[in-house]
Amino acid sequence: MEHLTHERLAALVDGPSTAEEATHLAGCDRCTAELNTLREQVAALGALPELMPPKGDWYVLEAKLRSEGLINNPGNFMRLGLAQTPGWMKAAAAVLLFLSGTGTGVVMTQPGMQEDTSLMADRVVSVEDAASAVRMAEQQYVSAVTEYRQLLADDGGVAVDPINRFAALEHLVRVSQAAVRQAPGDPFLNGFLASAMAERDAALRMVSSGQDNWF
Amino acid sequence: MNIETSQPTERALVRLAADGDAHAIRVLYERYAPRVYAVVRRIAGDDDLAQDYAQEAWIRAIRALPTFRGDSRFSTWLHRIAVNAALQALRKTETRRKHEGPKPADVPIAPVHRDSLLQKRLERALDGLPEGMRRVLILHDVEGYTHEEIGDVLGVTSGTSKSQLFKARSKMRVLLADLDGVLQEPGAEAWSI
Repeated sequence: MEHLTHERLAALVDGPSTAEEATHLAGCDRCTAELNTLREQVAALGALPELMPPKGDWYVLEAKLRSEGLINNPGNFMRLGLAQTPGWMKAAAAVLLFLSGTGTGVVMTQPGMQEDTSLMADRVVSVEDAASAVRMAEQQYVSAVTEYRQLLADDGGVAVDPINRFAALEHLVRVSQAAVRQAPGDPFLNGFLASAMAERDAALRMVSSGQDNWF
Repeated sequence: MNIETSQPTERALVRLAADGDAHAIRVLYERYAPRVYAVVRRIAGDDDLAQDYAQEAWIRAIRALPTFRGDSRFSTWLHRIAVNAALQALRKTETRRKHEGPKPADVPIAPVHRDSLLQKRLERALDGLPEGMRRVLILHDVEGYTHEEIGDVLGVTSGTSKSQLFKARSKMRVLLADLDGVLQEPGAEAWSI
């Protein structure tokens, strides 16, 4: 019997052979080797990994989904009122995030919380760490906004020291910078960092000019 | 990656996403984008087309979410939409190219990621297959479709699917052997990322 064709061998990878083909394969090293190579090829194809889409793909998709009306609600952040919150209110929220008490209206430093997140930023060694650090900051930020809005509704709220406010924003910048170092091309992280830096610089200018009645 | 472990959470996510919740859609995207992009990229054989096709697949899926009843796994449902979207888009692209005349000589396309040499060779050989063979080979040997399922998706008989598959495997074997020769030459790593 002549050697088996490549196509026939390809069929034998996962299909039955005739008695004649089986006899031939038992005595033909060349066809057997070729069949084994094809089996390895098929196994390797089945083990190919998933592929990451290009960076920024989500943002392009999100814009398309919005333009088609497929995203028809504002999402959690917007529902919390962040979009309607002026920048300085967000900054104040960040202050509350790191410096406020537990809703008693008494502003006090909480060094433990700040140290934890600072250390986290310093320990970032991977994209996952960075994303985790930013997620934590983001969650705390949302909590702070909620709390701040609660305080605004309460005339008993106490003004926050601008210097502490600056320190809190500086911390937020550090967390964001650590994240961006790990994923420099991520537009979300870069946007987050830019916002935090702008708020921090504004706070610094306020401290420098002695405007401590910003609240 | 085990993406089927949190069904209750996923069902809730799908319901929210069907209502247009941006956060839920984002979570689903992050969970399944690599799988969608992989199958679409391999069918397209081109990075630029792949991104367009993948986005089209997501738009179709999000649009169709209210019709998802949960009879199959969400990942399976989404995967089928991605395959159909890519195949349909590819047909449109081919038709347009035919009307526009012969396309420029194919430029070798390197895989996106810095992975193993074996993966690079496989991805490159896949890109070198004729369209018809590549579709069947990807659906069967990479994605695990049966010949009957391939027949449904491509509109061919299962016999045609088998015939194309065996030709594709054989052609793939030749392409891989050719790549072995290329890779053994000095400077052959130039095409790899």
